Parts: sequence; C-alpha cells; structure tokens
Amino acid sequence: MKKPLRPPGALPERDFLARCLRCGKCAQVCPFQSIRIAGLLDGLEQMGTPFIKPREKPCWLCMKCTAACPSGALDRKVKAKEIVRMGLAKIDNKTCLAWQGTLCRSCYDECPIFNEALVMDAELRPVVNDKKCTGCGICESVCPVDQAAIVVQPGVRS
Amino acid sequence: MTIRTARRIVQAASLVFIIAIPVLNRNGIDFITGSFYSLAVGPVWISDPLIALQTILLTLHADAVLLVSLVIPLALAFVLGRAFCGWVCPQNALSEFVDWAVRALRLRRFIPQGRTRLPRYLVLAAVIILTPFAGIPLASLLSAPGIISVQTAKLIYEGTVGVEVGLIGLIVLTEFLVVRRVWCAHVCPIGTFLGMFRTGRTLTVTFASDKEHVCDRCMDCMQACQFGLDPTKNKLSSPCHNCGDCIDACRRTRHVKSPLHYRF
Repeated sequence: MKKPLRPPGALPERDFLARCLRCGKCAQVCPFQSIRIAGLLDGLEQMGTPFIKPREKPCWLCMKCTAACPSGALDRKVKAKEIVRMGLAKIDNKTCLAWQGTLCRSCYDECPIFNEALVMDAELRPVVNDKKCTGCGICESVCPVDQAAIVVQPGVRS
Repeated sequence: MTIRTARRIVQAASLVFIIAIPVLNRNGIDFITGSFYSLAVGPVWISDPLIALQTILLTLHADAVLLVSLVIPLALAFVLGRAFCGWVCPQNALSEFVDWAVRALRLRRFIPQGRTRLPRYLVLAAVIILTPFAGIPLASLLSAPGIISVQTAKLIYEGTVGVEVGLIGLIVLTEFLVVRRVWCAHVCPIGTFLGMFRTGRTLTVTFASDKEHVCDRCMDCMQACQFGLDPTKNKLSSPCHNCGDCIDACRRTRHVKSPLHYRF
C-alpha cells in the first residue's frame, strides 16, 4: 500500500503508527464506512490502522472518529472540519474536463469548504487553495473522469 | 450454580458483545463501540494496558484520555488477576472449545503439556524490547482477542476477513494437534502482562487444607486444569487465570468440604 490517507486529525505518519492502538473504533463510528482497517497484507506496520480510499468513499468530515480515538492518534483537538489537513487535492490539468475546455464544476460544487478550498479561476477552471484544502477527497470521489483528474495526496500538513 | 456455569454465561455475553457492537454501530447506535484493543461504553473507556504502555513508551507522551482508560483494566488486574483471560477473552473460549473437541475425539497431541513458566515472560520481554525498533505497539499484532473482535467487525462491515485470522487459525491448529492450551498459558503477552499486577491480595485459587476441608490427593483439580497446573500449590507467578475449573472439580468430590476456593 502506498502512503495511506488517514482519517481527520491524524498525527504525522510516524507518530500516528506509534500512537494508534489498532482498536478500529474510528472505523466503527464512521457513519459512511469511509474509514477502513488495513490488514496484515498491507504490512505489519499498517495492520489494524485506519485508512480512507476517497475514490470509493471519501471523508465527509463529520469528525466522529477523532472524538472516538482513545489514544490521541487522531487528535481530539481537531473538532472543526475546517482545520482538518489530512491531505491535499491535486488537479491534473491534462485530464481535468474544465481545464480541457468542457464545462464541469463537479468538484467545485461538492467541496465542503465551499468556494474556499476549491475556487474557480477567471476561465471557470477549478484551482486548489493549499491553505484551505482539508484533503477529505470528496472532489476525488465525484470527478466524472475515469481516472479522477483531482486526487488527494495523503500526508498530514500543519 | 457451578463456577463454570457462571463463567460460560460471561463468555457467551462477551461473544454476543463482539457481534452486537459492530452491528449496533453500523446502524448508527454508537453508545457502545470498540474492540478488545479499546472499548467505550458511553463515557467509560477501557484500553488494553500493554498496548497502551507501548504507545506511551514509543511516543514518550502519555495522553490523558488514554491514561484514564487504563484505570478500570489495571484495577481489575489488581483485584481479579487474569480473570479477564478466563472469563471474558474470546480466544480462551475458542481454545477451551478446541480442548473439549480433542478430548471428545480422543486425540493425542504430539507434545505433552509443559509446565515451564519462562516462555511467556520471554515473549513479553521481547515484545517490549523490540517495540522501539519496530516503531509500532507490537503487542497489537499478537492480541488474539483484539484480532477476533476487529475481524468480526470487518466481517460485518465488509463481508470479508483479513489474513490475520490466520494467527487465530494457527493457535487453534497448534492446540488441536501439537500441545494443549499453549497460547494462553505460555505465549500471550497481553495475558502475561495482566498477571503481573497480582499482589498478595489479588483473587487467587487458594488451597487450604484443615480438619474440616481435607484433601485426599485425588488430584481431580489438576486433571481439570487446562493449563496443567497443580492448584494445591499456590504461586503468584503461575499463569492461572482464575477460571475456577479446579474448584468445581474439587467440589464434585469433596462437596462443601473442598479445600480449594477463591480468596482475596
């Protein structure tokens, strides 16, 4: 498994791996079953840890998982969805319909930090705002292109 | 009611909870949530002490919520010893079933049951010493009850289980064919750690023979002990998990005059 996308409030990867009890509560309380639990085949380090595959099921930032985490591997202080920084969306200009001249604003319309994390430029093309993007992956899940043209790069940002 | 009947009720309740918790959670009820790694019943949180200790050692940071969640399990370990293992742990229930099956089928295992106490302390020490090199709480990989509960949740959520159930399969196969009850008695670091909080006041099976309660050395108690322990010898270091089978066996022969009983 390449670098996994962790649930909201996750500590930086090394600390997260050290702190996570592998209890699976975050996945159990996730109302959308967005959070899944890695298995032994993902590696000994990963086994039991939570991850999100946004193309299949993104994070809707309900913040139930951070509140349920017993060890603080998901920081309970991260309560507001606006301050989540689980990853960063990246747009592939070569495949993005809007950047290729077709009218499409699927990602822009669905972004939970509406008109802030994703904005439209003067030519109605979506642009990610690094300072506001939470990394929830809703944009990636709704992108109509076969291979999503907007993809979340996992990795906690401060 | 025999001790075993009481224990079976508790074990059955534990199995019901393992299935009920993910089913409830899936249906939006998350008053109770978690696994044998960490459990939350409303505001009452309980975490596995060994895995918690490892995360604390790894990060040199003691999360306040995590520390509070250790109060109940550690208090129980002080008061009841390894009773969690004997009464609640699903791996113990499974291993007991395997043991029953082996006897029902009249099978003979390859290796006779050992009495050595060293391996489990070595396993526990190795798990703790290797932790900083691994960078993860290693005991989580060896928590059979944790794996059983998390994989049950996975089965209910995703309809599949991971290959880590292979560890459970390996334990079952080993105990079926090779050596009796080896995991709980000689390997499991979680259980060994829980047993280390015993003091002179912790609940133990006590052997007290007097004029009224005479032991006639029938050794039914030792026959009944799945770990092959001798209950007439009291030792704090024993892997005894207070299942009480020996007391039941003694009472069958000695009735109320049994010299074996629980004592704090």
